Amino acid sequence: MRTTTTRGRQRSFGRLLIALLAVFALIAAACSSDDDGDDAAPATTAAADSGGDAGDDMADDGDMADDDMADGDMADDDMSDDSGDMDDDMADDMAAAACNHGQNVGGTLIIGSTQVPRHLNGTVQSGYATAVPGTQLNASPLLYDAEYNPMPYLAESWEVADDGLAVTLHLVEDAVFHDGMPITSADVAFSIQTVQAHHPFKTMYAPVTTVDTPDEHTAVINLSQPHPAILLAMSPGLLPIIPKHVFDDGQEMPTHPRNSEDFVGSGPFRLTEYEPGTIIRMERFDDFFIEGTPCLDEIVMEITPESTAIVLGLENGTTHLSSTLGPSANVLRLMDNPDVEVSAKGHEAIGQINWLEMNVNDPALSDKRVRQAIAYAIDRDFLSEVIDQGITFPVPTGIAAASPFHNPNVNHYDKDIDRAKALLAEAGYGPGELQLSIDYIPPAFVVQAEYVQQQLEEAGIEVELSVSPDFPTWAQRVAAGEYQMTINQVWNWGDPVIGVHRTYLCDNRVGVIWTNNTGYCNPDVDALLNAAGQEFDIDKRAELYAEFQEIVAEDMPIFFLNTPSFWQAYNPAVMNPPTNNIWGQMSPMHEVWLDE
Amino acid sequence: MSDAMGRGEVAAADLPVAPGLGAGGEGGSGRPGRETLRLFVRNKAAVAGVVMLIGIVFMTVAGPRIYDNDPKDIVAIPLTGPGELAEARLGTDYLGRDVLAGVIGGGTTSMTVAAMAAAMVLVIGISIGALAGYYGGWLDSALMRFTEFFQVLPALLFAMVLVALFEPSMWTISFAIGVVAWPGIARITRAEFLRLKNLEFVRAARAVGATDWRIIRKVVFPNALPPLIVSATLIMGTAILFEAGLAFLGLGDPNTTSWGLMIGLNRGNFLTAWWSVTFPGLAIFFTVLSFSLIGDGLQDAYNPKLRGR
Repeated sequence: MRTTTTRGRQRSFGRLLIALLAVFALIAAACSSDDDGDDAAPATTAAADSGGDAGDDMADDGDMADDDMADGDMADDDMSDDSGDMDDDMADDMAAAACNHGQNVGGTLIIGSTQVPRHLNGTVQSGYATAVPGTQLNASPLLYDAEYNPMPYLAESWEVADDGLAVTLHLVEDAVFHDGMPITSADVAFSIQTVQAHHPFKTMYAPVTTVDTPDEHTAVINLSQPHPAILLAMSPGLLPIIPKHVFDDGQEMPTHPRNSEDFVGSGPFRLTEYEPGTIIRMERFDDFFIEGTPCLDEIVMEITPESTAIVLGLENGTTHLSSTLGPSANVLRLMDNPDVEVSAKGHEAIGQINWLEMNVNDPALSDKRVRQAIAYAIDRDFLSEVIDQGITFPVPTGIAAASPFHNPNVNHYDKDIDRAKALLAEAGYGPGELQLSIDYIPPAFVVQAEYVQQQLEEAGIEVELSVSPDFPTWAQRVAAGEYQMTINQVWNWGDPVIGVHRTYLCDNRVGVIWTNNTGYCNPDVDALLNAAGQEFDIDKRAELYAEFQEIVAEDMPIFFLNTPSFWQAYNPAVMNPPTNNIWGQMSPMHEVWLDE
Repeated sequence: MSDAMGRGEVAAADLPVAPGLGAGGEGGSGRPGRETLRLFVRNKAAVAGVVMLIGIVFMTVAGPRIYDNDPKDIVAIPLTGPGELAEARLGTDYLGRDVLAGVIGGGTTSMTVAAMAAAMVLVIGISIGALAGYYGGWLDSALMRFTEFFQVLPALLFAMVLVALFEPSMWTISFAIGVVAWPGIARITRAEFLRLKNLEFVRAARAVGATDWRIIRKVVFPNALPPLIVSATLIMGTAILFEAGLAFLGLGDPNTTSWGLMIGLNRGNFLTAWWSVTFPGLAIFFTVLSFSLIGDGLQDAYNPKLRGR
């Protein structure tokens, strides 16, 4: 076929052209998929892409980086949660009561979501996208109610040693995996070791030395230091119990094929259909270890990039439940709809906070007075109450308001332009003499960035907005400290040891996003955090965290803006909706039933 | 070539003027120029386009002086409807910024970006088209393959890649639009040069001893102008749409206000605050429409087949 004629030469030139084009198309496709993620679903910040890029917990924090959602006190009164202070024995009674005393077993719950999981194995993948289906498919040792109280689940009881150096779990005896094999202490040990080795939240199980298995139903977790966070780290989303006999075959866990195919779980529902990015269908597991549950026949997660489609589905009754509702206008619109219930409850443990992060290594921002001036210039109440129309809640500190360790009595830096100008003058900057930039990723943080810009200009600081085209670019820039200020959203993840310490510890400046990206270092803060991380007494622990929050408010490496929320919208027919626990939809829905 | 006959006749009509090398560059402005203007003015749609464009340019140039709200300032409660407030006649957006000030201020950005992009398109397109068309041969082949490479790339995607590579700013956006939009102009220029270069007056110029550069500049180019003027007008409209499209996708310069950026940022509130999207949208609509009407009018006026109607 190859000839030396002109036609032949043209053909080979054509091939070259096609090859070049293919290369370009690949680049374009890569770029455009990032943009799709950002634009199509305001509730998403390139979640799926970021998971691997950053290679740590942060990847998934961004999943729900939706500025317009809020949390907190806008409780729906119609949502009475029957959990609370019940003891172990009552759990079974409640389970029986759960499906309306067995009257309402059956039905299919349709959940709408914009979140695309990479796979379904929560031992090696953090984030909301994996945790919602993952907690239906896998059980964990403990459950949590709405008040941060641990409750029995796979572990029917547990003890913490007096010296705090061991936690003993007593497992339910008749629990089986979806393939019929019994769930034993060896599986618990294997799951903990897997999380320890592969989960991005390294602090959760870092102090664990060994896991002893004296018998099939007892697991003893040995610790190198007291580690109160370990109880919360046994929540459904953080420690799914996976079958050792399936996964312990020498294959790499993060890429193990059984993470999404031929899935064998320990939870109330078993996987029947999984089309990545489209649908996750989960069927009632008849041999689930809590008698009489799950109530539902089936849970179907319909995944779409468009939050608008979910809102319409809720309005016309084809979607029963969703927490990915998109911009605040959507939430307000659903609130006005008598056929849809909207609640800010549930998901309290996530503790997501939007904040303005300042690089303390920057020449101008290394002066504490400049950072305090910035804080005095911004009116966070106006941002939440007027601009976000009450969909977000102002928060003055880095521990979320729903946490037992939240200290509301720190300096709030109520807006005071004169004070801001005075502080700037003290630091040597007259009006217009200080120029700063804010890095952010649109569209998630546009409102905050533009608002802060406008507010700071009022105080005489010129602010340039600098848009990063995609999540990895921004993450890299911020992690490397190549920025002045940025708008960020970071999650508490239940216990401060998991989600709060990482932002402040001096030695956690490791060049990865969602670690210590400000360069902030205060030995007093380090000491307080390390002490609090090992304190089992909740009151003493709260005191240590209260002092920590006061110091951070004074040093002002970060100006905390507000708590957006996972507003949950659901059909009134959904009974026991996941508004009754601190993990929301990242908790098993075996007691949810449909009143149809 | 039959398709090009129309334009061929334009050149024929220009013949008496063009060969006058001494009058250099006067190609389009003699009697036929006046004739073209007369035809253009008779075209009501085109005149409407001109009036519209003058209005828009006046608004963007003089507007900020007359109406002194800063488009970046928060002036009132967010998402207030039009007509409810004296300080924000067209309502406010999600931050409480004045939509009217945004439409006025955004016009400056949109028009500047469009003008810079169009200038870039013309410079690149005409240079490459002229060289390819005039010299032909291997240079033509090389330049045209180069042009085709850009022509087959999906324009908006390519522009997005360019803007994403650099940081979004007015300069990078103009550059990106310029880089993706020139192949059309290059091909039109080449076609005109190919057609003109062997006509008698060009050969006459060559026989007199004029250099290639002088022939391209003073003889061929003025006669290739009419279709280029039409295209340039349409390029302005395209550039405005491109700028709006990029900004809508989040690739606008965040430190300026532009119509596309306003639409992109406010679109989440469209159901509750139609005004924050509608008015910048109308501004884009009327601007692009005016350029299209003017372009059509010019095309008709330059087309001798329509003369005498």
